Amino acid sequence: MIDPLSPLAAGISSPKSAALQISNAVPHLKPGGARSTLVDFETVLGRLITDTVGALRTAEATAINGVLGRASVQEAVEAVLSAEQTLQAAIAIRDKVVAAYLELSRMAI
Amino acid sequence: MTTIDPLQVALKVAASGLEVQSKRVRIVAENMANAQSTGNTPGAAPYTRKTISFETEIDQLTGANFVRVESIDFDSSPYPIEHDPGHPAADAKGYVRLPNVNILVEMADMREASRTYEANLQVIRQAREMISMTIDLLRSS
Repeated sequence: MIDPLSPLAAGISSPKSAALQISNAVPHLKPGGARSTLVDFETVLGRLITDTVGALRTAEATAINGVLGRASVQEAVEAVLSAEQTLQAAIAIRDKVVAAYLELSRMAI
Repeated sequence: MTTIDPLQVALKVAASGLEVQSKRVRIVAENMANAQSTGNTPGAAPYTRKTISFETEIDQLTGANFVRVESIDFDSSPYPIEHDPGHPAADAKGYVRLPNVNILVEMADMREASRTYEANLQVIRQAREMISMTIDLLRSS
């Protein structure tokens, strides 16, 4: 049950596959109950984390450029604020995932 | 990251507004600083006032209307003339051509640029707040 959540970290190392599959983001539920695993929660999460890391890297580079005078103040601020908000979203979702784990671990067997 | 989130697009549009208004302030600064810049040879032309104009730019990815600087031109209005035979730029009759910069007009232009900049900042502030409020839905519940 918990398995789909654990390859979350793997999403960071393979961002391409995550990005490629996202166009089919609707889970295909077949009447027979068989589910074609095109994109599931873990892929979406992996992509989210990849995006977050990418945004943070861009923000850092732009901020450094801004300090060096190569980028305008507006660009630097925009990149940093955008990264901050992406990070907020990622953290909020991570908290939800951890809460789901905790909820499962409290389940009486 | 291909984002078509309207709020993110709004942030980018407002950022383009900040960009052009800061360029406008730069032009105003040049005009103000050179308001007394005459030539230094007899009959030489003084500093010519610069003007800036904006145009809309359609973003291919989102279809949103950004703003960009269309062109930076020179004001073709005539130079004021002053009689000052001792000036290095005075012509044979002793007249000096002064820059066609009107400080009052530049001040008004600067004030307008500042207000527009503020308005765009307010758009950014608002859009960010809306995004944050939405993310907070995940937290509080």
